[in-house]
Amino acid sequence: MKSVKLGTGLAFWGDSLRPAIDMVERADIQYMCCDHLAELTMAILSKQKSKNPDLGYTTDIIPFLRGVLVKCRERGIRIVTDSGGANPESCGREVVKLCQELGLYGTKVAVVTGDDIMDRIDELMAEGVDFINTDTGEPLSTVRDRVTQANVYIGSEGIVRALEQGADIVICGRVTDAALYLGPMIHELGWAMDDWEMLGAGTGIAHCIECGGQATGGLYSGGWQDQPNLVGLGYPVTTVFENGEAVLSKTPQTGGSVTVGTVSEQLVYEVMDPANYLSADSNADVSQIRLEQIAPDQVKISNITGKPAPATLKVNMGYRAGFVGEAQFTYTWPDAVKKAKAGLAFLADRLAQVDFKASETRIEYIGHNSMWGPEVIAPPEDPDLAEIVVRFAARCPTKADARKVFTESVPLYNNGPAGAAGIGTRPPIKELYGIWPCLIPREYISVTTTITEVQPEAEGAEP
Amino acid sequence: MKRRVWDLAHGRSGDKGDVCNMGLIARSGEAWEVLKREVTEERVKAHFGDLIKGSVTRYELPNIHALNFVCRGALDGGGTLSLRSDHLGKVMYTWLLRMEIDDE
Repeated sequence: MKSVKLGTGLAFWGDSLRPAIDMVERADIQYMCCDHLAELTMAILSKQKSKNPDLGYTTDIIPFLRGVLVKCRERGIRIVTDSGGANPESCGREVVKLCQELGLYGTKVAVVTGDDIMDRIDELMAEGVDFINTDTGEPLSTVRDRVTQANVYIGSEGIVRALEQGADIVICGRVTDAALYLGPMIHELGWAMDDWEMLGAGTGIAHCIECGGQATGGLYSGGWQDQPNLVGLGYPVTTVFENGEAVLSKTPQTGGSVTVGTVSEQLVYEVMDPANYLSADSNADVSQIRLEQIAPDQVKISNITGKPAPATLKVNMGYRAGFVGEAQFTYTWPDAVKKAKAGLAFLADRLAQVDFKASETRIEYIGHNSMWGPEVIAPPEDPDLAEIVVRFAARCPTKADARKVFTESVPLYNNGPAGAAGIGTRPPIKELYGIWPCLIPREYISVTTTITEVQPEAEGAEP
Repeated sequence: MKRRVWDLAHGRSGDKGDVCNMGLIARSGEAWEVLKREVTEERVKAHFGDLIKGSVTRYELPNIHALNFVCRGALDGGGTLSLRSDHLGKVMYTWLLRMEIDDE
């Protein structure tokens, strides 16, 4: 039976390089797949691109490739990544330059585009795409003038095409996380693009491994204390078979473990209806999945299926949504709680004096209720607490308003109730982006794959 | 006997926009039956109070003894907007693990 061996290289922007380096040295993988993009990442990357047209990709791809690429080329390991983010073309050019620097001539670098619809929004609306918010039912006009970025979660077709054309490195923008893995599966296992059962199985398998160490003992609530060598955690190495089954393992001689428990926790991570796991390539059904420990650190995955892919694709659209201002301060015994509340009142009065505007504020007591807030755990009352940390956050219409939160908290050091400390230094003001969830019929999207073969720089062959 | 969900299950949670999903995985076949009976949509909604503003929907993954709770309006407008320290709902599930249940 045909099979393909896929390695998970990076699982988020800023992930450590060590697991990938360990993997290319010790595991016999054919592909290394890397996901760098979360919901907010595209908004951040688009902002970078708007300031500098050469930026807008996740720059960690360069040190990553510097660490693994020579070995990958030696061993014929192909790399599939969404590090192109908001600017796959620019990312492609940087990767070509890196190949030249490393002398890796002949390397084929593919760039997959077609996900970015920012410049087409009005034209698409004129053609009848409504971009209605799928959560709230609101029309796009609610936020249209604040939209900074619009990317469609495209499927695996551009990746499959790149691999068919011999690409060694495939750089995508906003493809689905699953497509990074499904592309190589389709290419190697010969699945048809409408073999819904297999594409569903592949999508479900991809979901189990796309978050790297979260499937191999990282973040494992079922027994974190039993995971060996978490600092040397091994990332998933997965053999996928043409019948839609897989064996999930990890790089030999690394930390963590692969058990039914660790894989189960990852399976339920960020899943809505498990019988309808919607993706660009399929509507996967993982509800009847079977997991079986077949050897130490080897879990067999089976019984995932799928239905036809949805007629629409999901759009990730970001819009400017104000700024967040934060202040944090600590009070100590005696009367820590009373003083904390007096300190908050002091801050509120000072903010009122400077015409502070906020659409929403939040108070959390760190060490007491900061993870769930007052909705779940009432503010502290214990008069004997040794210390309590207060966090005050506000969503503000302007950066100037957001800045006032910290500025007006500083006098707590000298002028407020006794025993304040830990106010910290002035934090950077974070701009907020809302995500506008909406759909687009797939016929409006066409995916392009462009391949550049790396030549010595003097002869120049830029993509 | 009063027990906590934690005695019967482990879990994980995450975000998709303003939706937080919390998965629970039973520690045994016996625990799975108790979980299905006791950890209902209504009880989960009540346990989180105003933190979950929308609906709670429960799904089953019977072959791995897992329940998945999809909670709408649970992240203060979504991970990118939320003022909460846990803006991505990474530890939401641990509050569910603390819920007390009847385990007769």
